[in-house]
Amino acid sequence: MKRVLLSLAIAALAQVALAEPFVWPSEWTVAEPGEAVSGGTLRTYDISNPRTFNPFVSAESHASRDLLMLQGASLLLLPPDSDEWIPYAAESFEVSEDGTVVDLVLREGIKWSDGTPVTVQDYYFRYLAETDPDVGSNAYDSWFIGEEQIQMEITGERSMRFIFPVPDRTAFPVIGSHFPAPDHILGEIYREGGAEALKQAWGLDVDVSETVWTSPWVPTEFLPDERLIYTRNPYFGEWNVDEAGNPLPYLETYSFELVQDQDAALNLYLAGDIDLFAPRNLDDIGVINVAIQNGDIDATVIENASPVASSQFIVFNWNYASNPFKQELFRSADFRRAMSHLVPREAIVELVYGGAASPMWSNVYQVLEYWVNPDVPKFEYDPEAAAELLAGLGFSRRNSDGWLVNAEGQELGFRIITNAGNNQREQIMQLFADAARDIGVNVEAQTLDFNLLVEQLLSVGEDRPFEAILIGLTGGSRDWPFGVNVIPCGTNLHAWNQDPSGECLSPQETLATNLYFEGRQTLDTEAAREIGYEIQNVLASIQPLIFTVSPSAHYSWLNTVRGEHPAEFINDLVGSREAVLTYKVQ
Amino acid sequence: MFPFIVRRFVHLIPTFLGATLLAFVISQLVPGDYFTQLALQPNIRPETLARMRAQYGLDQHWTVQYIRWMGSIFQGDLGVSFASNQEVTDVISRPIKNSMGLVAMSIVMLWLVAIPAGVYSAVRQYSVGDQVVSAFSYFGLAIPNFFFAQVIVLMLFVLRGFTRDAFGYNEVLLPVAGMTSSGWLQMGFWEKRYDIFLHMLIPAFVVATAGMAGFTRVLRGQMLEYLESDFIRTARAKGLGDRTVTYKHALRPAIIPFIAGIGGILPALIGGAGLVEVVMSWPGITPTFLFAIQRQDIYVVLGLLVVSSLLLMVGNLLSDLLLAVVDPRIRYN
Repeated sequence: MKRVLLSLAIAALAQVALAEPFVWPSEWTVAEPGEAVSGGTLRTYDISNPRTFNPFVSAESHASRDLLMLQGASLLLLPPDSDEWIPYAAESFEVSEDGTVVDLVLREGIKWSDGTPVTVQDYYFRYLAETDPDVGSNAYDSWFIGEEQIQMEITGERSMRFIFPVPDRTAFPVIGSHFPAPDHILGEIYREGGAEALKQAWGLDVDVSETVWTSPWVPTEFLPDERLIYTRNPYFGEWNVDEAGNPLPYLETYSFELVQDQDAALNLYLAGDIDLFAPRNLDDIGVINVAIQNGDIDATVIENASPVASSQFIVFNWNYASNPFKQELFRSADFRRAMSHLVPREAIVELVYGGAASPMWSNVYQVLEYWVNPDVPKFEYDPEAAAELLAGLGFSRRNSDGWLVNAEGQELGFRIITNAGNNQREQIMQLFADAARDIGVNVEAQTLDFNLLVEQLLSVGEDRPFEAILIGLTGGSRDWPFGVNVIPCGTNLHAWNQDPSGECLSPQETLATNLYFEGRQTLDTEAAREIGYEIQNVLASIQPLIFTVSPSAHYSWLNTVRGEHPAEFINDLVGSREAVLTYKVQ
Repeated sequence: MFPFIVRRFVHLIPTFLGATLLAFVISQLVPGDYFTQLALQPNIRPETLARMRAQYGLDQHWTVQYIRWMGSIFQGDLGVSFASNQEVTDVISRPIKNSMGLVAMSIVMLWLVAIPAGVYSAVRQYSVGDQVVSAFSYFGLAIPNFFFAQVIVLMLFVLRGFTRDAFGYNEVLLPVAGMTSSGWLQMGFWEKRYDIFLHMLIPAFVVATAGMAGFTRVLRGQMLEYLESDFIRTARAKGLGDRTVTYKHALRPAIIPFIAGIGGILPALIGGAGLVEVVMSWPGITPTFLFAIQRQDIYVVLGLLVVSSLLLMVGNLLSDLLLAVVDPRIRYN
């Protein structure tokens, strides 16, 4: 018996020894290989509690999942310095020639935080649960291309296959970032109690120390509204090492102070009670800089690291049947080009954001540099050019009130609204309205409750209840930065044209829609980028969305925290550091 | 007295139903719902949002939602939070407890300071001390709590600069946010109590100063009125000392309205400490309430309103009963 046990132990050790760990490149951090020290606690903050500890129940974006998982065993990884996915929990992957089949082989030696080996069944169980509509996972949509579902199969002890109905860039990252779910715990619950039982598992009332993860740290203590503490997963370092061969992560503990608002977080940072802080604006940066100069804290500030991953634009309503004059006006590309000429982007950057923003010209967030077409048509602030374009539309003389009118005496003007309480947007709207009024366009600027505004924006019909709206969108991807619900005609965020038929109203819309689907099906990133450039060209030429400016992201950390990205990597999408490569010195 | 109590309890039922119906109707008048903000995420399909709305019953008519909600309330279930997917009772019980602790401490602070200050102001009317107390009272009344809290935090940072320059001590003397320190779970029983006490000091003080002003002024007025009364003159004529006259004969009747108001403390406790909780990141009711309103996490908002309404009604009843106990002129027959 002893010999059998010994043989098994040797076999197990050999298995671990044979398993190739993932080596985190030293280029991803400013620290030299071997320089980092292990141990210590990183203290940071979050504004709200996690929503749940259940990896399937999330009605929101992946915010809470990211907070909890902190880089678990996703099959692939998107590096901070490239837009090409690399193998991670999968030791290798292969895409078929037609781009519809992806085969992956799971790395050996990956374990759950309770020591149970991670298997392909764990990935398959997650797929099954996420594609079960009764579970209601937020990831449900991502497993479909149109009406057709992406299929997953287990093809061997360590291999799995994903089959696409058509090649698709937006589905590939779904597979790349596919995490395992513990089949030996949650899978059991699902098989015994179905979707309802699975949804009830691991809520906020669970003893977090009983939950299992593949992430570098695992939640061990949770005090609602106060603190969430993660401690190092001892098994993570068995398949994640630095270039010097040291097991990762370096930090022993990762602690989140759950504060009620950003001001409280800033106070904690200034008191030295947390290590990281994301300054909201130049005021925060000013306060931190004063504290640094006074010697209160020893910290680093990265100002204007990058534009944020969101947009702010003006959209005109093309479906305004009750006012044919304005409908025709809003559908005119020259009118919208003229309005774009009246957006004082440089003034907005200076006056609204104190310089911490950049002009935005295309429908791709500025931070997605790789995808942004620098040569799109730019209708820079130029009231004279705007006046010329409007004159071309027949608005060349002013009435007794000073507003531009056409030959029929119809006055040029419209009502623009934005959501009340968003000070920046209110100021942008006002600056635009002032510039328009200066050349004789009667712009009435109003604010409205956010939800009412969204209802108007999303309304569908021939006569929608708004004229112009200033609003923004968030949520983007480095794989294909065009919103599935935005570009194609007939989708719900194609905000300028919501004709009930779902038809495009201009040839440029049709072209952009076709290019969108062509780009999605192009797996070659360079080729997809070319198509993306063309989409930006087409849309920027007719300005259905008039983009304004993109505010900047800022970072700050106490200098006891090390291992940040090289400065050129730091931006709003990849952040300032890889958590596992972060370490602390005293 | 007993029939009065029964009658009052019976009256609570329509009041409670009316209050909940009103709250529910108002909540339905607000445009959009919890999922509206998600609609602006380019990767979420409208079908998914519709499915989520159906899952939470938000696709039903508001009357159906209200009847379902009331049905569950009578079974002790306040509904489910959209934001945390937890029972509302679980979501709100902890903040209620935290707020109660904070407000209780501020009330103790208030009474410890305001009663002596009010008595002193009355006994030493128009003295320098009275003027100083008055000035502080008006200051407390005038300055908003959330601003005062931020001012105190700022003063702590300024003090740190001083202690660093003078003694090389570069620490902030009191916690500037939160309810516990990062090493709280490793602390012993008394260490934990002390840690919470330290975190509580600034917010409780700020809340107490606001109440102190009104309390001191009213007690001063009451005391002045009683100190001029015939029975006090009689007591002095009998040769009783100043201390006995002031504290035994004048203070006891003067304090009656405050004792009668103890019932009002109940809803005050549940009302939380207001925006000072947000500024100081105290995990109490106000941040929970504001966050729920902001997110349109409607059952959490309604749950807090239900609990507040109930305690307000019970508190008012208690106030009436206490008044009958302490004031012999009042009888409920």
